[in-house]
Amino acid sequence: MRGWRWKREARLAGWLGVLALFILLLPVPAHGTLRTLHLDLDARQFEFTPPRFEVAQGDEVVIRLSASDVVHGFYLDDYGIERRVVPGVVEEIRFTADRAGKFRFRCSVSCGPMHPFMIGELVVTPNLPFFKAAGFVVLALGLLLAHRWRHLSAALSPQAEPVQGDR
Amino acid sequence: MRRLEGIAIALVLSVLVGLPVATLGYQYVVRPAQSEHRVIDIIAYAPEAGGFQPTVIRLTAGETVTLRFHAADVVHGVAIGPGLGIDLGHIDPGEVREITYTFDQPGLFTYYCTTWCSKDHWRMRGVIEVVDPASPDSLPLPERDPIIDALAAEGIDIDTYPDGGPTHGGAHPARVRVSTGLTPHVARGETALTGLTVPDILASLEWRRAHTPLEALELLAQENADADRARLADAVAGLWLSHTPGQPAAGTVASYNANCAACHGQTGAGDGPAAGQTAEEPAAFRPDSMLPMRSDVLYAKIQRGGMGTDMPNFGTLFTPEETWALVDYLWWLTFTDDP
Amino acid sequence: MTVARYDLLRRALWLGRVLRSRLLQPALMLVTLVVFTLAIVTGLFGTPAGSRNFGIVFVWIVWWALLIVVLVPLFGRVWCMMCPIPAPGEWLQRRAIVRRNPGRPRTLRKRWPRRLKNMWLQNIGFLGVALFSGVILTRPSVSAVVLLAFPLIALGLSLLYENRVFCRYVCPVGGFIGLYAMMAPLELRTRDCSTCRLHRTKDCVAGNAQGYGCPWMVYPGNLDRNTYCGMCMECFKTCPKDNITLNLRPFGADLFVSKSHRLDEAYKAFIMLGCALLYSAVFLGPWGWLKSWASLESLPNWLLYAAGLLAIVLALIPGLFRLCAALSDRLAGHRAGSRFVTYAYTLVPLGLAAWIAFSLGFVFVNGSYALSVISDPFGWGWNLFGTAHMPWTPFAPQLLSFLQVGVLTGGLLFAASMTVRFAGDGMVDARRALVAGLPVIAFQLVMTLAFLWLYLG
Ligand code: SF4
Ligand code: SF4
Ligand SMILES: [Cu+2]
Repeated sequence: MRGWRWKREARLAGWLGVLALFILLLPVPAHGTLRTLHLDLDARQFEFTPPRFEVAQGDEVVIRLSASDVVHGFYLDDYGIERRVVPGVVEEIRFTADRAGKFRFRCSVSCGPMHPFMIGELVVTPNLPFFKAAGFVVLALGLLLAHRWRHLSAALSPQAEPVQGDR
Repeated sequence: MRRLEGIAIALVLSVLVGLPVATLGYQYVVRPAQSEHRVIDIIAYAPEAGGFQPTVIRLTAGETVTLRFHAADVVHGVAIGPGLGIDLGHIDPGEVREITYTFDQPGLFTYYCTTWCSKDHWRMRGVIEVVDPASPDSLPLPERDPIIDALAAEGIDIDTYPDGGPTHGGAHPARVRVSTGLTPHVARGETALTGLTVPDILASLEWRRAHTPLEALELLAQENADADRARLADAVAGLWLSHTPGQPAAGTVASYNANCAACHGQTGAGDGPAAGQTAEEPAAFRPDSMLPMRSDVLYAKIQRGGMGTDMPNFGTLFTPEETWALVDYLWWLTFTDDP
Repeated sequence: MTVARYDLLRRALWLGRVLRSRLLQPALMLVTLVVFTLAIVTGLFGTPAGSRNFGIVFVWIVWWALLIVVLVPLFGRVWCMMCPIPAPGEWLQRRAIVRRNPGRPRTLRKRWPRRLKNMWLQNIGFLGVALFSGVILTRPSVSAVVLLAFPLIALGLSLLYENRVFCRYVCPVGGFIGLYAMMAPLELRTRDCSTCRLHRTKDCVAGNAQGYGCPWMVYPGNLDRNTYCGMCMECFKTCPKDNITLNLRPFGADLFVSKSHRLDEAYKAFIMLGCALLYSAVFLGPWGWLKSWASLESLPNWLLYAAGLLAIVLALIPGLFRLCAALSDRLAGHRAGSRFVTYAYTLVPLGLAAWIAFSLGFVFVNGSYALSVISDPFGWGWNLFGTAHMPWTPFAPQLLSFLQVGVLTGGLLFAASMTVRFAGDGMVDARRALVAGLPVIAFQLVMTLAFLWLYLG
């Protein structure tokens, strides 16, 4: 009986793996609009303005980065871009947003107590990683429930030991 | 068991007492003792949190010291001037930069923050008093500046120029502005000059520093009555920077960006991030305000600061040469602005 | 349900010897005491720049990551075996560090109030720390004062009460460690409970020449959850029948011990889940105003923040959950009372997953500070190991979202299958039970998607 249940759970895990792989490898249309987007980004203790901005995948992004109180930095996750910005001197950062998803940019120069949490978000649309992840979570849950449904007979549930209501 | 217990107690005590004593002792007793000369720790806080601690350091001439600068809160930078050429660059919070130096002449030196760290950034200074070992009690006096003295002798109050008029105590007069509609550009200067009759006096750097571009323009106009005014203005721009042709030196640009840009703006438009926070709107280095301006007055303003405007004095930081280089850069900013 | 267990001590006899050694706990404590003391000294005397201060980096990045990502999910309460916080008090009370002092403990032997024999103080303590976390996490001196306060309170309590009253009822960390330790695949249990029942002297409770009676006031004989056993390993030493052991078992087995389900623990689960959500928004989100509210820049704003946090954590989340649980009860047609509290235990795997995902989010990014700080713990320009100038380099940001999605999905699936089981209990029609669980599962799904959105959306 126990061995049988383990096999059942292992099969579920296998299906989950297949689902994950499938979603990961799902082909996505490549984007290459090639607009050039100009953006003024200001760094201040402890936020970026605008805190979040969206560009389309394939856009060339030109950020004019400024700091308005103390020295800050700009580090863009995954893109490996890092720049130090001193108040009064504008830095120009140029890159092609070739990967879709949400990428955090973080202050990379210690600027005060909350510095490690000074974070902004660049969303390169369409944000497929998020949709894929959300889809995966929902489908995985569906898979689990379907699996349970299939194996729960209408007869006595075989596994549960008695659970009393709460006192 | 008894022995183990003894060892355990010893270990625990050595952690609870020994660790603090060892670390603090190493930093405050052993490290200074190891150094062959005096070590002075200077902690840099943003000005509203105290600025440099300490703010005054007294040395005797000939003494070698290690100055160790710590940044406590935000990024600061340290340079020592005037004329020493010491620039430690920026110091990130929690980091330390040090310099070992022998001050061999008596005099007053200033260590100052070189990175914009607050709206009061420019207040962030400290003084090194290097006294003569022969007379340790007499403080060295700041030197007088001949340019500023000459302006004073001429009767020019640098805070009100060129109106004259009373200043201190009264409201600060509006900055002089002329609307000439001219946008002279230094790049067109050479072409503009060819074929013009240029009075000899305009070739003199000394004359140019004591006069305004407008005055020069009038002189040129007298000689070249039929020339277009815009062309004459371009010619003046070319003349005004004729003693430093080519691009401005990187060091000067960096110095402007570090010290001036936060108020006056990176391009000199008077729109730096701190522009809204000063007692008076920072000057814009644009033709309308600069054509009626003299170089020596700019020099004096940089060296001495602007009374009541929040323009700091840089005389304790920059040598005259460095200051003139900055003045030239201001003209460059003025004469390269293409709207 | 009986679950598969693997007795770790059957084979690894050396492990038993190590666990029975009186040196084990003091030796571990000594190591953590060094780090802890250094964290306090650097916090008080070192640079105010948190990212260059050993205290901040080692407590809130290194220790925290180790605790929530590794120790608790895999080894349960093992941290409490080596925790330095109660050590001074315990040693003074026992007048001994390593040896078994046969004398009476030095304490006033007051009685801990009955009404406080639960997790509520720990819930309150955790919320207290959480409200100030914007300050505690970022200012070395404040952090040091808090760190110093912990052992002092523990010491004070050890003068009044016998045993680890601080750990069991007060420590804000201990509360959630206990809650999430139920997830761990490692447990300390008796081999055979009938041996315990027949053992008259109950040495594990009373103590004997080999060791002290359980300092956590637990009777190992009916230990069925990890929650309150501090893994101090005293009972290994005292048990004359060699009846104590360490088992490997499936993740989360303790959560199904339904007779122990209690409201204080349920609230711990709500608080932890809610705080993970809010922390993810405050600390990892892009909203500067939230950060400034949280870091006490102005009192009125902070009060708003505090009120908001408490309302969400104590009212909104439990309220919504209660609604879902009521729906589930309705669908199941339970008559034996609400299963609200029982269902709340499904938030344990979800909450732990959320905390792991959140912690990975800043540990990966800021872990490199540890390298520079170990060479220059005070930010005084030392360079002990030559790593003082290592630059801040986020570690593998591209890997982070995969881990976060994986962990969150795992948490959700675990929670959902727990829900199906809880709902089905006592029901004849198991498929109907699955349907009955759906409202609670929907809540779990929404929470998971909220985390996903914060991290990836
Ligand atoms: S309960 Fe708290 S103080 Fe006690 S051992 Fe655990 S973490 Fe340490
Ligand atoms: S049950 Fe055993 S290991 Fe757990 S706290 Fe009590 S004595 Fe220590
Ligand atoms: Cu910053």
